[in-house]
Amino acid sequence: MSRLLEQIGAVVGPSGMLTGADAQVWATDWRKRYFGKALAVVRPANTAEVAKVVRLCAQTRTAIVPQGGNTGLCGGATPDASGAQIILSLSRMNRVRAIDTLNNTLTVEAGCVLTAVQQAAEAAGRLFPLSLAAEGTAQIGGNLSTNAGGTAVLRYGNTRELTLGLEVVLASGEIWEGLRGLRKDNTGYDMKHLFIGAEGSLGVITAAVLKLFPLPRARVTAIAALPDAQTALSLLAYAQERLGSGLTGFELFSALCLDLVLKHYPASIAPFAARYPQYVLIELSDLESEEAARNSLEGMLGGALESGLILDAAVSQSLAQFKSMWALRENVSEAQAQEGPNIKHDVTVPISRMAEFIEVTDAELARAFPGMRNVTFGHLGDGNLHYNVSPPEGVPHADFVRRTEEVNRVVHDSVARFNGSISAEHGLGQYKREEITRYKSVVEMEMMRSVKRALDPLGIMNPGKVL
Amino acid sequence: MKILVAVKRVVDYNVKVRVKTDGTGVETANVKMSMNPFDEIALEEALRMKEAGIATEIVAISCGAATCQETLRTALAFGADRAILVESDTELQPLAVAKLLAAIVKKESPGMVILGKQAIDDDCNQTGQMLAALLGWPQGAFASKLARDGDKLAVTREVDGGLETVSLSLPAVVTADLRLNEPRYVTLPNIMKAKKKPLETIKPDALGVDATPRLKTLKVQEPPTRKAGIKVPDAKTLVDKLRNEAKVIS
Repeated sequence: MSRLLEQIGAVVGPSGMLTGADAQVWATDWRKRYFGKALAVVRPANTAEVAKVVRLCAQTRTAIVPQGGNTGLCGGATPDASGAQIILSLSRMNRVRAIDTLNNTLTVEAGCVLTAVQQAAEAAGRLFPLSLAAEGTAQIGGNLSTNAGGTAVLRYGNTRELTLGLEVVLASGEIWEGLRGLRKDNTGYDMKHLFIGAEGSLGVITAAVLKLFPLPRARVTAIAALPDAQTALSLLAYAQERLGSGLTGFELFSALCLDLVLKHYPASIAPFAARYPQYVLIELSDLESEEAARNSLEGMLGGALESGLILDAAVSQSLAQFKSMWALRENVSEAQAQEGPNIKHDVTVPISRMAEFIEVTDAELARAFPGMRNVTFGHLGDGNLHYNVSPPEGVPHADFVRRTEEVNRVVHDSVARFNGSISAEHGLGQYKREEITRYKSVVEMEMMRSVKRALDPLGIMNPGKVL
Repeated sequence: MKILVAVKRVVDYNVKVRVKTDGTGVETANVKMSMNPFDEIALEEALRMKEAGIATEIVAISCGAATCQETLRTALAFGADRAILVESDTELQPLAVAKLLAAIVKKESPGMVILGKQAIDDDCNQTGQMLAALLGWPQGAFASKLARDGDKLAVTREVDGGLETVSLSLPAVVTADLRLNEPRYVTLPNIMKAKKKPLETIKPDALGVDATPRLKTLKVQEPPTRKAGIKVPDAKTLVDKLRNEAKVIS
C-alpha cells in the first residue's frame, strides 16, 4: 500500500477506507455510462478528518472526487480510469447537528440522505421542501453540489435558494466555517454560492444550514388532461392566478410517458378511460385544512374545465392516491430506462416559450431521425424539461445511443436559439463538460476558470468535471 | 340487481397513528380521514359489475358520525348512485353495524351486499360475517375474484395453500380482499355530479336497532418501543450470541 494510503488510513481508521474490489462499485455512475477506477474510497467520520485527508492529497497532488449518494446523471462523482484518484464519500457524516424552529433552519451534515433531512424537519413540525425522485438515496451534500432542483422549485426554489450557510473544506485543507443562519448578510462576496452547484470542483461541502417552511396541513393532487403543451402553459397561468402560493407542483408528461409507466408498472392505473395527448400533475398545499385544499383545487379545475382549458381531471381522494398520482409522473424516467438506453436532455427555456420549443425541436428531430420517439416530461412550472429521446420502434437502443452527439446537437442548438440552458438541474459533470463550451461565451468560461484557479490552484478538486 | 356497498370512514392508511394522551383511543382530530381501503375495493367491484351490466344500482351506506357524509360523497364521486348515512354519535361496534346494515337490507332488498374484509382502524374482520348470519344469507369472505355464474356468484378466495372458489346463490354477502381490483381515480365531472346525488340520513332508532356498545375498551397504548440493535465485531461473536443469549441455535 502506498505511503499516502497509509497516512489516510491513519486518519480515518480501517473502517473508513476501501480499496481494491471493494472500491470498484463506487467507481461506476448510476446510469452506468462511466466506468472509473479509484485508488481508494475514503469515508471520513467528521470535518476535521475531511480536512486532514484533503491536506494529505494536496501534499501529494492527488485528485479528489467527492461523492454523495451516487445518483447523479452526468458522471460528476465518478473518477477517471487512471486508478490514481480517490473517492471522498461523506456518507458517515450523516448527523442532524441542530434544528431551530424559531429561525426556521436545520443544520445537517453533508452525508445525510435527503429523505432523512425531510423527516428531521417534519418531526419538528416543519417542511424541508427539496424533493426529487432519488431522494431515498441522494445525499444533501450532492444536492448542494449540483444545486438540485426537483419537484418543488416552483414554490420554494432550488437547493441554492434553500441554503443559508455552508461549512466547506477548501482545496488547501483549510476549513471555512460559514454555517450562518442569516437571511440578510451583505458583507461582500457571498462565497457559499460558489460552492453550491460547483460539483465538488472548488472544495468539499461538509455541512449546511437549510431553510425550513411551515408544514402544510393538507396536500392534494390532481391530474389534468390537455390537448397540447401550449394549453398547459395557459393552465399554469390560470392555476397560479387562482391558487397563488398554494400551488406547489405543476408537472407535464405526455401520453407516451404515461403509456411507458403503465406498461412497466403493472400495478399503476390510468387516470382516465380515454388517452389524451398531454397530462399535467398539479399539487396544492394548504396550511388550513384538507377541505380548504380540496375546495380550492376543485374550484380551479372546474373553472378550467368550463373554459375548455382542460379536457378532464382526476383528483386524489386519499393519501394513497396522492402518492400513486405522483408515482405516475416520477416513474417515467425508470419506465423509459426499462425500454433500454435512451438519450437524455435536461434543458430549460423561458416558461413562455416552452410549448414552442417542444414543437420546433420535435419537428427538427423527426426530420433528422424519422420515427424517433419523444419521451418529454418535466417541471413545467419552472421551465425545465426532461427532453428524452428513444429510438424508433424496432431500432436497437444501443445503435441509437451511438448517435447521441448528433441528437444532442439538434436539441442543444435549439435550446440555444430559445435562450435556454443545456443543463437545468443535473449539472455538467463529465457528460456535458465539452458540450457547454459550445454554448457559453469565452468571457463566461474564463470567469469560471479564474474562480477555479483561485480556489483550487493545484487542480486536485474533481478534475475533468465542469471545466 | 341492486348492490349495497358499506363504506367506513377511517384514519388514512398513510397517516402515522398517534395514541391519545389519556389512553382512551387514537387521535383523530386534525388527522386525514379516508375511505377504508378494503371498502374502496368493494365499491370498485360493485361499479365494475354495474359497468358490465350485472348490477343496475349501487347504493353506498356508512354508519357513524355526520362527518361520514364526506366519505359517502367520495363514494358517490367514485360512481355510486345514491347514499345512506346511519347517523350515530356513539361508537358503533361490528355487531351494531351488522344489525344496522341488516335493517337497511330489509328496506332496500339488494341482490348483494359487498364490503371490505375488515376496516384498517379496528381490524375486527367481523361485520360481513355477522351480517350474513343475521340475514341468513350465504357469504363469500376475502374475495380476490368475483364472477357471475348464471344465477349464482362464483367467489374466489385466497386461503392457505391456494385459491378456493365457492358458488353462492343470491342474495349474498361478499367481503373484498386486497387483490380483488385496483380502485380507479375519481374525475372532476364525477365529483361535481356527486354533489347533486341523493344522500339520505337515518337514525338507528328509526331502524329499531339497539346500537349500544357491548364491548368496553379499557385502555389504548402504544406498543413498547423496540430496543436499538447492536453491531457485533465478527461472525464468531454473532454465533456465540445466537447460541448463548438468544438461544435460537444449539
